[in-house]
Amino acid sequence: MSELDLVEWVVEEARNRGASYAEARYENQRQEQFLLKNGILDVLFNGNDRGMGVRVLYDGALGFAAGNDVTKDGARTLVEDAIAIAKSGSRKQKIVFTEEPGVEAEWKVPEKKPLLDTPIEEKLEAVNHIDRELTDLGLNLAARIFSWSGTGIDKYFVNSDGAKIRSYSPRARMLYFLTVVHNGDVEQGSRQLGYGGGWEAFSAWDAMNRVLDEARSLQKSLEKGKKSPEGRMDLVAGPQVTGIASHESCGHPTEADRILGREASQAGKSFITPDSIGDRIGSDVVTVVDDPTVPNTIAYYEYDDEGVKARRRYLYKDGLINEFLQNRETASVLGTQSNGAARAVNYNVEAIVRMANTFVEPQDWRVEEMIEDVKDGIYMKSFSEWNIDDKRYNGKYVGREAYRIENGEIGAPVRNTVVELTTPAWWSAVDAVGKDFEFEAGFCGKSDPTQSLDAMLGGPTIRLRDVYLR
Amino acid sequence: MGDYAGIAERIVSRAVKQGADDVIAGIGVNRSYQVRFAQNEPVISNRWREVGAFAGMVVQKRVVGTEIKDLDRVDEAVDDLVATARKSQENPQYGGIAQGPFEYKQSAPDPKILNLTDGGDLVYAAINAALEEGAKETAGSFWKYDNETFLHTSNDAVGHQRSASLSLTIRALMGPESSGHDVACATSASAFRPEEAGRHAGEIAVLAKAPKQGEPGTYDIVFEPLAVGSLVNEVGSRASAFAVLAGLSPFKDKLGEKVASEGVTVADDGSADSLGGRSFDDEGVPAQRNTVVEKGVLQTYLHNTSTAKLFETETTGNAGFIAPEPHALFIEPGDWSRDEMVAEVKDGLWVTNTWYTRYQSYITGDFSTIPRDGIFRIENGEVTEVWKDVRLTDNLLHLWSQVDGFGKEAQQVKWWYEVPTPSVVPHMLAREIGITRSAE
Repeated sequence: MSELDLVEWVVEEARNRGASYAEARYENQRQEQFLLKNGILDVLFNGNDRGMGVRVLYDGALGFAAGNDVTKDGARTLVEDAIAIAKSGSRKQKIVFTEEPGVEAEWKVPEKKPLLDTPIEEKLEAVNHIDRELTDLGLNLAARIFSWSGTGIDKYFVNSDGAKIRSYSPRARMLYFLTVVHNGDVEQGSRQLGYGGGWEAFSAWDAMNRVLDEARSLQKSLEKGKKSPEGRMDLVAGPQVTGIASHESCGHPTEADRILGREASQAGKSFITPDSIGDRIGSDVVTVVDDPTVPNTIAYYEYDDEGVKARRRYLYKDGLINEFLQNRETASVLGTQSNGAARAVNYNVEAIVRMANTFVEPQDWRVEEMIEDVKDGIYMKSFSEWNIDDKRYNGKYVGREAYRIENGEIGAPVRNTVVELTTPAWWSAVDAVGKDFEFEAGFCGKSDPTQSLDAMLGGPTIRLRDVYLR
Repeated sequence: MGDYAGIAERIVSRAVKQGADDVIAGIGVNRSYQVRFAQNEPVISNRWREVGAFAGMVVQKRVVGTEIKDLDRVDEAVDDLVATARKSQENPQYGGIAQGPFEYKQSAPDPKILNLTDGGDLVYAAINAALEEGAKETAGSFWKYDNETFLHTSNDAVGHQRSASLSLTIRALMGPESSGHDVACATSASAFRPEEAGRHAGEIAVLAKAPKQGEPGTYDIVFEPLAVGSLVNEVGSRASAFAVLAGLSPFKDKLGEKVASEGVTVADDGSADSLGGRSFDDEGVPAQRNTVVEKGVLQTYLHNTSTAKLFETETTGNAGFIAPEPHALFIEPGDWSRDEMVAEVKDGLWVTNTWYTRYQSYITGDFSTIPRDGIFRIENGEVTEVWKDVRLTDNLLHLWSQVDGFGKEAQQVKWWYEVPTPSVVPHMLAREIGITRSAE
């Protein structure tokens, strides 16, 4: 029996053994990664991770079993395990999934230059080239790290509602992390680049210029950076900052499983409650969406890991809390339908409610127009430190590349500007949303066992009026 | 069960025949089981049956690695990896792997843990204890870890280890902003106390009702072991030689220097009984006790054979796949009780848990982390208020230099992303630590 036939068989087997619902996910993830540390290739890794996960709903309780013995015996054992542990985890409040159509589909992310068929030597040379150009800048680089990863995810999902979905998703990622020293003082900067597609990712990123610009800006901060002023002023936040705020202060708090308490012990809960739809969270120019259907993103998908069709979700719309991220379990509790947000990082973990690509929807301001209109403020193009509390209410972002704005003019760089605001304070202060747009890749951490999942976060430049900075 | 020791040996011999200079092969078996719970009921039960091979090899100083989940394809994967190595680049800093053979201290896993197939009673013991304290809602995870490793290297290190342990994390809530959190960890079923974790989480949740917004400032802080575990994980991970070389550590160039107050002694010890206990590291070097910080002075980084050679020292037995990593962290206890610590504080806080630690600069150690669950105001030795919405904003080296004492009893903690390395730690009192708060 082929692996794909086995996926279909296992779902049927689970139903025959009394599961009211069953699904199986077979994944074969081909991976290549390397790490270039201070000009030296530390390690080159290639691997093949494959196996199957089976989830059943039995008498209103969920059991999930995963393994990599992809034979009929191995699959039968997974069914037995999943049902046995679902029985032992019985509940008073029965879990119910929403009714969703059982779709048969096949989708594949197009690659101009197939990611994993492109010779590794070409990738090594591309990253080494950046490293050589970087060192040629003549800066005192105390440490420089580049990591590359290419992953091809071949997946087959089947459920007892009739869904049969085959997909292939190639994902490219590159991270750089630079440490520059000048006169005993130090600045660090990093960025994660991501792309859904082939090796054309590298040119799409314009990675060389990004890295060199970052290094020059680190040096400039060290040479000319001034202490950031303290007090109430305007903040012009670049796409990277907009992106992290979208992810942390909109995407996470609108995850329905957090709202319902399922993640309370780990990733936390949310300041949003089931009754918060329609509540004001920001000014009316704020619309934040999560959209898995944006082409060439590392979080692109057409159907989620419960077989539900992906679509754009308007989480905050015109300043109001508009929609939660839902899977079939949370949607059932909240009396709505799944909006296709169930994702798993691999075959061996359950699919839970996740973001994909989260961003502020661009509008019509040019960045120069936003700055021209600021008398006293800070232009924070990127950030270093960030964190937010587990109810997603108190966020903090520390500027990495940032500049003083006085009377509409960009001035000297400022160092470590801190913006520490509540979520409503952040979004309510926004009075202008740019037409520019940029994505950054991220790893989004959630669940137990931990699932660090491919996500993208981004948006345009936005302007916040009269916020406290230090 | 397959002949996993034989497969590991076959990977090594085939790679050597193909021209590899150094080879490490490991077969990992995962038979773990988990119950997640929320709203006082199980939400899902998970079980794993996974076997995977890892092979790391070096061909003319070209370092490569692979993961093989289809053990029928081991030969093909080894051949592919050797071919990949030939296309790769030399690592001039590569310093070899440890020379065996080694003798290992073996400890047998508790059969009661290995035979456990239903954790429901243990989960409800924790939930019910929290509810009996007055908590309204609980959530968490119960884990039975059952992992086995077969190792074989081209330098004659041959080892087998099986470890089993239990852990439970529980958060108890009285309302959206009143919560307590605790964990239970044990390597024997008889020492596992889920009800104690539930009770403690419930107690804190009840104490933490009706919090008010905290005030920014500088405070003396009494930390619960869960928070200390998170902070000492920063010491352990930043002490990895990899972190030092990569610009990810404030401990760079600080060997032999004071990095903490005199009362601080931190060891990494994979050889001790804990959830991080093991017979050997990923190179086959026997696990050992390494005092990382002794009486406030940084004694060593954590090394594998290759990084040790670069730093002209010996491996500390902390090899991970790429980077040396801590196995289990221990803080030498002091002689205080928690109540004595609280009584000693004039103007301070009692912080029961922290999360989301991030750095502004890894080199300087400037960072922040967010107190969560019960945050209590202490004035003149008495708990006077419950706080919320504050952030600990300080510097890692400064924080450890401000430690004024430890509790006399240590607790083993391990929790999610926040305490990934099991840590056996007491309460801790640190003076004049920075606290900030979000603006409205």
